[in-house]
Amino acid sequence: MAGHATMRCGEFRTSYRADTTIFPTPMSRNFALGGVVLLVLAPLVLNAYYLNLLIQIGYYGIAALGLNILVGFTGQISLGHAAFFGFGAFASAWINNSFGIPVILSIPLAGVLTTAVGMIVGVPAGRIKGLYLAIATLASQFILEDFFARAEWFTGGSSGSLANSISLFGYSMSSDQSYFYVVLFFVVVMFLFGANLLRTRDGRAFVAVRDHYLSAEIMGINLTKYRILSFGISSFYAGIGGALYGHYLGFVSAEGFTILLSIQFLGMVIIGGLGSVMGALLGTTFMVLLPEVMTSLVGSVGDMLPGLSQGVAYIKQMAIGLAIILFLIFEPDGLAHRWKMVKAYWKLYPFSY
Amino acid sequence: MNKCVIPAAMAAALAGLMAGTASAADSITVGHLAAYTGPTSDVGKPYGQGIADAMNYINANGGIDGSQLSFETVDYSYNAPQAIATYKRWMASNPAPVAIQGWGTADTEALVKFVTNDEVFFMSASYSGHLTDPMGKSERTKAAAPYNFFYGPSYSDGCRGVVQWASEDWKAKGGEGKPKFVHMGDNHPYPNAPKEACAAYAEELGFEVLNPIVYSLKPGDFKAQCLSLKESGANYAYLANTSGSNISLVKSCATVGVDTQFISNVWGWDENAQAAAGDAGYGIAWVVGAAGWNSDAPGMETVRAVSRMSDPSGNEARVLHYMRAVCGVFFMHDAMLAAEKMDGGVTGTNIKAAMEQMTDHVPAGLEGVCLPSTWTPDDHRGTNQVLVYKSTPNGFENVYTATLERRPEWLGW
Repeated sequence: MAGHATMRCGEFRTSYRADTTIFPTPMSRNFALGGVVLLVLAPLVLNAYYLNLLIQIGYYGIAALGLNILVGFTGQISLGHAAFFGFGAFASAWINNSFGIPVILSIPLAGVLTTAVGMIVGVPAGRIKGLYLAIATLASQFILEDFFARAEWFTGGSSGSLANSISLFGYSMSSDQSYFYVVLFFVVVMFLFGANLLRTRDGRAFVAVRDHYLSAEIMGINLTKYRILSFGISSFYAGIGGALYGHYLGFVSAEGFTILLSIQFLGMVIIGGLGSVMGALLGTTFMVLLPEVMTSLVGSVGDMLPGLSQGVAYIKQMAIGLAIILFLIFEPDGLAHRWKMVKAYWKLYPFSY
Repeated sequence: MNKCVIPAAMAAALAGLMAGTASAADSITVGHLAAYTGPTSDVGKPYGQGIADAMNYINANGGIDGSQLSFETVDYSYNAPQAIATYKRWMASNPAPVAIQGWGTADTEALVKFVTNDEVFFMSASYSGHLTDPMGKSERTKAAAPYNFFYGPSYSDGCRGVVQWASEDWKAKGGEGKPKFVHMGDNHPYPNAPKEACAAYAEELGFEVLNPIVYSLKPGDFKAQCLSLKESGANYAYLANTSGSNISLVKSCATVGVDTQFISNVWGWDENAQAAAGDAGYGIAWVVGAAGWNSDAPGMETVRAVSRMSDPSGNEARVLHYMRAVCGVFFMHDAMLAAEKMDGGVTGTNIKAAMEQMTDHVPAGLEGVCLPSTWTPDDHRGTNQVLVYKSTPNGFENVYTATLERRPEWLGW
């Protein structure tokens, strides 16, 4: 494949090394690089509203990738992801407010703290499966939520805590334009790390645990270790995403990290595609943009039928629910799978397979 | 990370979404945060309607000296992060609002620093005592709140007022020994706002203050809390939530057979709550911040005209909160009129300055509806008058009017 810009119509890889590149073809790599370059230019042309949406996709996307590593790659269901997301937000604000450590450092530190918490939750979770695991992670969601509301020293209790904006070399990054670059940096780093993780020995062990835990154990994979590790890495992602969210809003309160957000994260990875790095980003994009698209659609319908304008909010909520349900019925493998199908179509054209 | 979303495609998909409100040069942009959904929607709906009606009424009657109020109503479902996201969106739009009519305690307190930096006049429906300290003089306030205003007594003063009534009530009943007082509410900034201040004042008046009891802002079955209340032997229980969850609570407590006297705050009871609670609701005493719908005050003419903005038939009876919303908007209206004559015109800073020049002010046309209010540059306690009403089978009766001292140590508490 090396050096070839065109896509060939068969499998010509002759080494494992060639089979596990991050990007399957130079073209896809160039596209990804081009995408990043376009995003770097985005603040020059987009207004604050679109940047706000992109920033949301960024921090939710990082957290969704973490959940995808846990659910999609290791096969461990989690209903407590929002709590770790929240923990990261509180931890970063707390580190910055209490110790005066600059925000740019408190964000990764918050990720590390969240990893520790995630691993603690992962210890019992490493020994149970399926529904039992779902309930255990649900419990961690509620325990952490209650902790947020009570731990005044850490979270400011029910009043929440203020999170300072990032400043680098005396330059404040509080505007959407500048904060966008901070988020973009973390997105690129975290997604590269995620994509690479799955090419490593440990990443392959995750997949083995997901596919057949018994076979994995017979091959010598330590199940408990890898399940806990998966929880830890997933929490690290949630913590980084949460910290970015906290410093973006400038205020962190316990009410933002409920079970609903946990379910939304699950929605992101299922819609995007379980077990796909790109799927995490696609699913997040879908979930963030859907309400906005619905608002504009329903808004224009409301203008045509004035009687509807009172119910616009409800129609919007129902439409979002409906879109998700239709998606799961007609696209159970997620957006990433659809993308693969689109690529395969062009690759095999004019034949169907 | 294979392919990124191409922003241009996104922009195309969403084109026109952010057109926002078209703004003429002669309009004044105002933000309106409302809670039509979420746990406080029971009182959020009538209040938000009052804000929207009053602004539409002002626009229909010449605006602010000819300038129309251009406002967008956003329902943020009582979710503080969503309120902040909305605020950020507003501030990034052009023209950014110079004034905001807000709602809840959590979001208002979270936005204090933002509105101070952006110099936006902010009138909340949160009457948290923390918002009354514009200079940050008090040890109890996290941040100075120079741009925050609200109409009516603060939660702390309101609670102190009903506690004063309770103290009189105890004497009138011929109660023996120390009456017992308990604070009940959710673990949330709004119910917590007056908790310590009010408990301290209750102790001062000779109450024994018991451990607070937590019950959710979301209506539910509160029999467990009622049993705790019964066991505690409290004589007076202060309900710090909004009417929706209070209805559930008084009903649950009636079932369990609690004979505690309930007292509540300005959001704690209204006509809808009484209709829903039936017999269980009679006897509750709470704070009222403006005239009721059936009042014959001269200013009610204006309120009824405002109400016809969304109810042309004029048949709809508005609940107490509606009148307070109208008062809030008209105080802002008067401040804007004054600001327009200042250097720079209607800016957040000028509206604030105009508000701080009001002394025992009642907006023109609302005589007898709104309480006379005074704001100064170092004290944003608009009024220290607390009207205590009691719900009886014959309707709501004003049983007590407390005029609280303006103690310096109570500022921001």
